[in-house]
Amino acid sequence: MRHPFVLPTSRAGWGLLIAFVVCVLAGIWPVIGLFNRAALLFGLPLLIVWSYVIIFACVGVMLVGNRIVEGDGHE
Amino acid sequence: MNSIWPLVITLGYVAIAMAIGLMARAGHRMDTLEQWGVAGRSMGPVTLYLLIAAGSVSAYTFMGAPGWAYAKGVAVFYVAIYLAYLALVAWYFGPKVWQFGEQFGHVTQASAIADRYQSPALGALAAMVMAVGSIAYAVLQTIGSAYILFVMSGGAIPIWLGVIIVLACIAVYLYISGQRAIGRTNAFQGALMLVVAWAVGLWALNSATGGLDMGALFARLQAENPEFLTLPGAGGDMSFSFWTTSIIVSMFSFMPPVWTQWMCASSARTIRRSATWLPTYYVVILPMVVVGFIGIYSLPDLVRADTVALEYAMAHLPVLLVGLLGAGTLAASMSSSEPFIHSVSLTTAKDVLQPLFKLSDAFTAKLARWLLLPIMALVIAPLAIAEPGSLVMILLVGLGFASQVLPAFIGMFFWPRASKLGVMAGIVAGFVVTVAFTTLWKHPLGIHAGFWGLLLNLPVFVAVSLITPAVEASVVERFFRIAAPRGFARPGTHQERAKMSATTTR
Repeated sequence: MRHPFVLPTSRAGWGLLIAFVVCVLAGIWPVIGLFNRAALLFGLPLLIVWSYVIIFACVGVMLVGNRIVEGDGHE
Repeated sequence: MNSIWPLVITLGYVAIAMAIGLMARAGHRMDTLEQWGVAGRSMGPVTLYLLIAAGSVSAYTFMGAPGWAYAKGVAVFYVAIYLAYLALVAWYFGPKVWQFGEQFGHVTQASAIADRYQSPALGALAAMVMAVGSIAYAVLQTIGSAYILFVMSGGAIPIWLGVIIVLACIAVYLYISGQRAIGRTNAFQGALMLVVAWAVGLWALNSATGGLDMGALFARLQAENPEFLTLPGAGGDMSFSFWTTSIIVSMFSFMPPVWTQWMCASSARTIRRSATWLPTYYVVILPMVVVGFIGIYSLPDLVRADTVALEYAMAHLPVLLVGLLGAGTLAASMSSSEPFIHSVSLTTAKDVLQPLFKLSDAFTAKLARWLLLPIMALVIAPLAIAEPGSLVMILLVGLGFASQVLPAFIGMFFWPRASKLGVMAGIVAGFVVTVAFTTLWKHPLGIHAGFWGLLLNLPVFVAVSLITPAVEASVVERFFRIAAPRGFARPGTHQERAKMSATTTR
């Protein structure tokens, strides 16, 4: 293969990439279909609760990412 | 509503925003693009957080989002999700863009494209077409601003006068303080919006249900109108496919002002820190969405869904909150329009006129500031006053194009072999499809036009790149030293570094 792509070069990097992809998949079809019910959770529609789960999951993944990136001194 | 206080409060906000914008200069000379364009790359994490957050939360949050909740229901939350994904995009790409800017002197997105592909023509093309979407966006926000002044003044400030007032304020502080004004005013506007949204949302909830329990409101919706709690929504038009492709297309639309904002950071780490917490800002959407849901029962016969929050406030809330809502909505629309106006002026001077007329850097910096005036007076103001019906169409096409520039970024961050002609071919193919599927055959099979564009764009980009000359090796190496500081891993292998020279051979 003469034309390489930029991909993670460590286990932590791959873990982070997978976490990013999982976050994105969580917000689109087919996963979103699992939460598409007219049900309430904590008094809020299920889809709104799931949206906030995704939002805070993104924050969590980036916090972990900060530790990885800054932990090994790589900017 | 006959009180003068809402107008006084709204105009008071305009005066404060103007003062903050003017003071933002703080003795800095604005005669270089480094200063006027990217604030000397000096912004700290809190300012950057509010700058990006306020810039992305437009008048849509105060008008469109409650309107969507009122007309469609929870489908509106696709916005919160894609904004969170934009934070992931900022976290990964922002620090690299900042390093490009800091090391190679870029102040615009188009400069980076021109440099990566060694093609001022490609940079100018990207700048001009991105400007179409940017101007349409700025015009829509300006119309929103003028509409707020019209409502808050009880019709005493007509739309044309509102457009002039808002643009004049923005023009003065943008000319004097440039990106520093955007940073400071957006920080103020961002904080104001957060407070106003929650104050209005909770007050409206209390006035509608007699308490602060959202559960009562949603329980009623569940019992009487459950279609508001699921996709495709009450309007029946937010299918899974449109939800999904809208999120993906929005996520990959690297709008020029956002790129410039990343380059304003004081360090790469600053961007990462700001991006990390950025999704938390989007809780601002929830209380305004609640007002939209309340409107379903309180204002069942509204002609324009996007006026639901304002109409409800004027009918049920105290004048102080109505004024704050006016100020918050105006803050949202101004904070979104000013980065786009600044960006169009900056990139037109730097990426179109400078290479075309071989202008000096000093003259280009002056030109960028002066261009604000004709752009506002001859383009944005007339369009905003005329309110053309095709504006939303222009915006959709413009945003559709923004996502079609994706190959340029793939070649910048992931694939060294991307060629100038490959990028151009991909953009043109994708743009034609996007335009066709936005205007002639709208979103076939319920899939976003921009997504259809990418389906053709990306294979064309790869195929043409592989059969046309790669960019000079030294340039590619320069970029990928930042994009891939640890070298490359090849598909199917692990932790493998590749020699850069091998990447650019055909």
